[in-house]
Amino acid sequence: MIRVCPLADLARGEAKRLDLDPAVAIFHTEDGEVLAIDDTCTHQDASLADGWLEGCEVECPLHSSKFDLRTGQVDAPPAKRPVRTHQVTITDGDIYLTIASEQPNAPAGVDVEAGP
Amino acid sequence: MSTTSLPESLISTLPGIYYTDEAIFALEQERIFEQLWFCAARSSDLAGPGSFKTVQIGRESIIVSRNRTGAVRAFYNVCRHRGAKLCTEDSGEIKRAFQCAYHAWTYDLDGALIAAPNLTKMPDVDRSEFGLMRVAVREWLGYVWLCLADEPPSFEQAVMQTVADRLGDLESIEHYDLDNLSVGRRIVYDVKANWKLIVENFMECYHCATIHPELTEVLPEFTDGYAAQYFVGHGAEFGQQIEGFTIDGSPGMDRIPGISDEQDRRYYAITIKPQVFINLVPDHVIFHRMYPVAPDHTIVECDWLYLPAVVESGQDVSLSVELFDRVNRQDFDACERCQPAMSSRVYAGGGVLVPSEHHIGAFHDWVRAQLSDVT
Ligand code: FES
Ligand code: FES
Ligand SMILES: [Fe+2]
Repeated sequence: MIRVCPLADLARGEAKRLDLDPAVAIFHTEDGEVLAIDDTCTHQDASLADGWLEGCEVECPLHSSKFDLRTGQVDAPPAKRPVRTHQVTITDGDIYLTIASEQPNAPAGVDVEAGP
Repeated sequence: MSTTSLPESLISTLPGIYYTDEAIFALEQERIFEQLWFCAARSSDLAGPGSFKTVQIGRESIIVSRNRTGAVRAFYNVCRHRGAKLCTEDSGEIKRAFQCAYHAWTYDLDGALIAAPNLTKMPDVDRSEFGLMRVAVREWLGYVWLCLADEPPSFEQAVMQTVADRLGDLESIEHYDLDNLSVGRRIVYDVKANWKLIVENFMECYHCATIHPELTEVLPEFTDGYAAQYFVGHGAEFGQQIEGFTIDGSPGMDRIPGISDEQDRRYYAITIKPQVFINLVPDHVIFHRMYPVAPDHTIVECDWLYLPAVVESGQDVSLSVELFDRVNRQDFDACERCQPAMSSRVYAGGGVLVPSEHHIGAFHDWVRAQLSDVT
């Protein structure tokens, strides 16, 4: 379990990127839920923490794929594979994170430098 | 400049080459249109957050838009990655961000770089350093004014003072409440003439009795050939039988409530160099903006502005629009008639200005001064 930050430091409607390996995005929804998913979009290498939070869905800033923050499922393409969700707990006003154990779905070619 | 000496009544114009030469035109773009305040759009053309227009200023394409709070922002239409043009449309509305169609660099409505592929793998890239390049913006008279200069000249000195100098004071234009007038009609003219021919035409009324029969009917003093712009604070008076600034002298719309009694039944004209002309009449304002596109080609966008109630209620403004639309066509025809002769060998030394046109000489001096340290 990782202690992230005080809940008070993450306003509603905001997201935070944690520079773990792989990176994690934590969202505080307008409804007050705190949810965590893999930060890297499964389509290309974009940070979902930079995306657009709407309800409990995030839209990727690059090509508008949408992910459900509760399930990690793709709600809108072009991404095809889900992101992982991570368990969040709030204890004494602090956000804690438990990283999922399954393998992440890195976008194709994220570690490949070659061109098309 | 002509070498033969002229009689005292005449002074020379610019040489013909100033109206035809690509190099001079490029210099004007660089030294004039990319340096001075340029009136780019009507504020109401940008309806709300995310609505944008692209405008050509000098040699640059510029995006004008509103940010999330409704403030106007302007940016060079150039992606900071590898230069792709961000917006290819003349106008439109974006939801949340400007995104480059090439590699998807994404900028928010304030121009900040907010996302790009692999951006998090380049932690040394400071996003604030790679936002869209900003252009200085002012809103005045219900228009958006931009300046591309690294250090923009004072807007108060360059633009507002010009109006004050023409009308005698700044309050005189405030009476017309241009901020709150509505666009009743917009006509865009495609004029095959150099932008300076159009400025010169607006500055003089020596041609009025010859080419503007309808206008001189409404403003009889224009037959003398002295333009409204000749004397500080002077407005040309409507003729005795004239009831309104319309094609047939019939009554116009409701008078703009803020204008003074001296401003009633008068026509005022203002030139704000390099590309704006404003005409003030009791019930509307005619606002021209020029976009020079080539030595022999200029686009003129003209707005007829009325009280919001006039436009909302759908009152027929065509009689007043027709008057100045006809004046514009008469003027632009005259400019197009001159353009081909600008390259004639007998016009190489230019033409002459009669006394009622001598103030155009000051415009020519100004143009030369703007270009001078290079020519
Ligand atoms: S990178 Fe997320 S949709 Fe393409
Ligand atoms: S040129 Fe714009 S993202 Fe590459
Ligand atoms: Fe004219």
